[in-house]
Amino acid sequence: MSAAKHILVIDDEPQILRALKTILVEKGFKVSAASRGEEGLTLAATNEPDLIILDLGLPDMDGLEVCSRLREWTRRPIIVLSVRDSEGEKVAALDKGADDYLTKPFGIQELLARVRVALRHTALAPKDQVTTVTAGPLVIDLQWHTVSRDGEPVKLTATEFNLLAYLVANRGRVLTHHSILTNVWGPEDADHTEYLRVYIRQLRKKLETDPDRPRHVLTEPGIGYRFLTEAENGVHRT
Amino acid sequence: MRLRAAYARFLEYFLPLVLIAAVAVAFYAVRDVLDNTVVALLFLIPVGISTARWGLGPGITAALSAFLAFNYLFIRPYYTFTVHRPSDLVVLMVFLIVAVVISQLVGRAQAGVRTATAREREATRLYELSTALAGLHDNREIAGILADQLVATFLCEHLEITLTAVGEAAAQRPEARPSPQRPPELVVPMQAVRGLMGEIRLWRQAPPVSATEKRLVKTFASQGALALERAALAKAEARARILEESDRFKSSLLSSVSHDLRTPLATIKAAASSLRSGDVSWESAARSELLTAIDDETDHLNMLVGNLLDMSRIESGALHPERKWNVLSEIVQSVVARMRHLAEDHRLLIEIPEDLPLVPVDFVQMSQVFTNLISNSIKFAPPDTVVRVRAEAQDDSMIAVQVSNQGPPVPEAHLKGIFDKFYRMTAADRVTGTGLGLSICKGIVEAHGGTIWAENLPDGFAFNFTLPLHMDGEPPPALPKEAEGL
Repeated sequence: MSAAKHILVIDDEPQILRALKTILVEKGFKVSAASRGEEGLTLAATNEPDLIILDLGLPDMDGLEVCSRLREWTRRPIIVLSVRDSEGEKVAALDKGADDYLTKPFGIQELLARVRVALRHTALAPKDQVTTVTAGPLVIDLQWHTVSRDGEPVKLTATEFNLLAYLVANRGRVLTHHSILTNVWGPEDADHTEYLRVYIRQLRKKLETDPDRPRHVLTEPGIGYRFLTEAENGVHRT
Repeated sequence: MRLRAAYARFLEYFLPLVLIAAVAVAFYAVRDVLDNTVVALLFLIPVGISTARWGLGPGITAALSAFLAFNYLFIRPYYTFTVHRPSDLVVLMVFLIVAVVISQLVGRAQAGVRTATAREREATRLYELSTALAGLHDNREIAGILADQLVATFLCEHLEITLTAVGEAAAQRPEARPSPQRPPELVVPMQAVRGLMGEIRLWRQAPPVSATEKRLVKTFASQGALALERAALAKAEARARILEESDRFKSSLLSSVSHDLRTPLATIKAAASSLRSGDVSWESAARSELLTAIDDETDHLNMLVGNLLDMSRIESGALHPERKWNVLSEIVQSVVARMRHLAEDHRLLIEIPEDLPLVPVDFVQMSQVFTNLISNSIKFAPPDTVVRVRAEAQDDSMIAVQVSNQGPPVPEAHLKGIFDKFYRMTAADRVTGTGLGLSICKGIVEAHGGTIWAENLPDGFAFNFTLPLHMDGEPPPALPKEAEGL
């Protein structure tokens, strides 16, 4: 990392804010903190952080609102924090443009892994016109629609490839069922999660070294899927 | 409607006149041959018929007109109402009296029969109503039945039943048509011991609501009020029972929580304070052990809190599985991936056939079931043994899932009880946990329409559960096959 990356944390609980600040600063990040939504939006606009960690339960405004207001002008990654059993809220935040989520309480390794993934994928994001993505033994050519594993070509159906291409183009990000179905199958099929379940299983069988322990096409329970180029340590939820 | 009624009324009075005229015409020609008394007797026939057929009023009309016709046409001098012979006068007077008395008697008998029939019909209606209302516990349903019965009994343009508890029109007939703009012609309150339960509003401009009908509507209203009150009482009783149960739940929860939450807290406190005190050197194994303890115990604490939340949701009936078509092996694999570090000492085997149909389950809740069953298996089975997850289609409508381990058997007496809340076979201190994990599994499986049970195997112990393969009557979807075109 050249210059220290700047992380903005928006969370109303002072203990969490204090802990995150201490740990992130220790890890070499520059950290600013806000305990309210409005304050967070102002800080985001003035400081232009590289990454935003946003708690969805804020006292003054809805975390989802903060998320969509941020997305009006910035493409910087947003990781939302939320509590257990609020899959609906997490899905809504991801559909509003958040990149990833973490369920409280979380281990710090998990947080750091996510921060790394998010920062890397912004580093590539806008200007990069990468057409070939390598993930472990897989090489996926988005332009020529070819996939190979350990140098051997892998045969995919058109839908399988479209699904893989959408996941790979958004690698690192958590994609909701709704967004995958809408983008790969079309809005009229947005509720057919069974398509997704079945095609994901087929993809894993063709791509993963051990389809029962996938390292690249990962399930986010109750939320959706995520493609990782290399199984980052700690990204697997504990 | 009104015209037709008026026409019918007119006929009732007109037809007796026609009958009298017919008799007069028939015997006019032979009036000189027949004796006056015979003619008088013959005139009594239409009078009797009229009364029997059309009631008292038309009967009297027939009697009077027969009297006049008799006098005018059959008693000398003809074509006058004057009477010369005293005997004729007597005949005439007797005729009038007999005619009127006959019509009155017959009319009264008729009216009596009519009232009796009406009473009987009322009684039948009321009986039907009370039978229909018996056993109903839903206010709207009661209002609906009441409205149906009222509409079947009374002619009405529009009917509306409002309930105090509902606050708006709970039922109206005809349905889905706004009530007329004018105030209703009849409003009857439904009064019960506990107060006003609601109101029956009836719109009917004509014919006006009679006193009898009003009385009957009132009887219907009191039946309705009784049914509503009964429903309210039943609801109150159910609520009381739930409260009592949740009270019991809370007190067992408190005793469980105070023990189970304190144990991890005590560990964390001890570890953290000893690390802070500086007594533990930076490189020592103890240091890393203490840190691991803190980490593990917070996870444990988090799991306990999660279980408590799940249990309270199951208790309050707020557990609504969002069933979607899922691949069961994906659910199990995602659980196993997350539990890998907990299951390090055991071998986890997953045996789910490739061709198992899609299952309609809530992904997150089903993950919870597998997490709890697997963690329970790990807890009781000795290290280096196998924990096996198996699933197979039982038939077209059910799949059977088994999570088995090679742990010690459970005494038969406990097999059922282990799914109860706060149930422990062993002394509380030996194994950690709130005793909620399995009852959460039971709650979730049952919310999915399945059943769960435990059994001892020749070489271990197993949890079994079934899950229906149909969702809203639909079998698992088949997906179109696609060619590999690349």
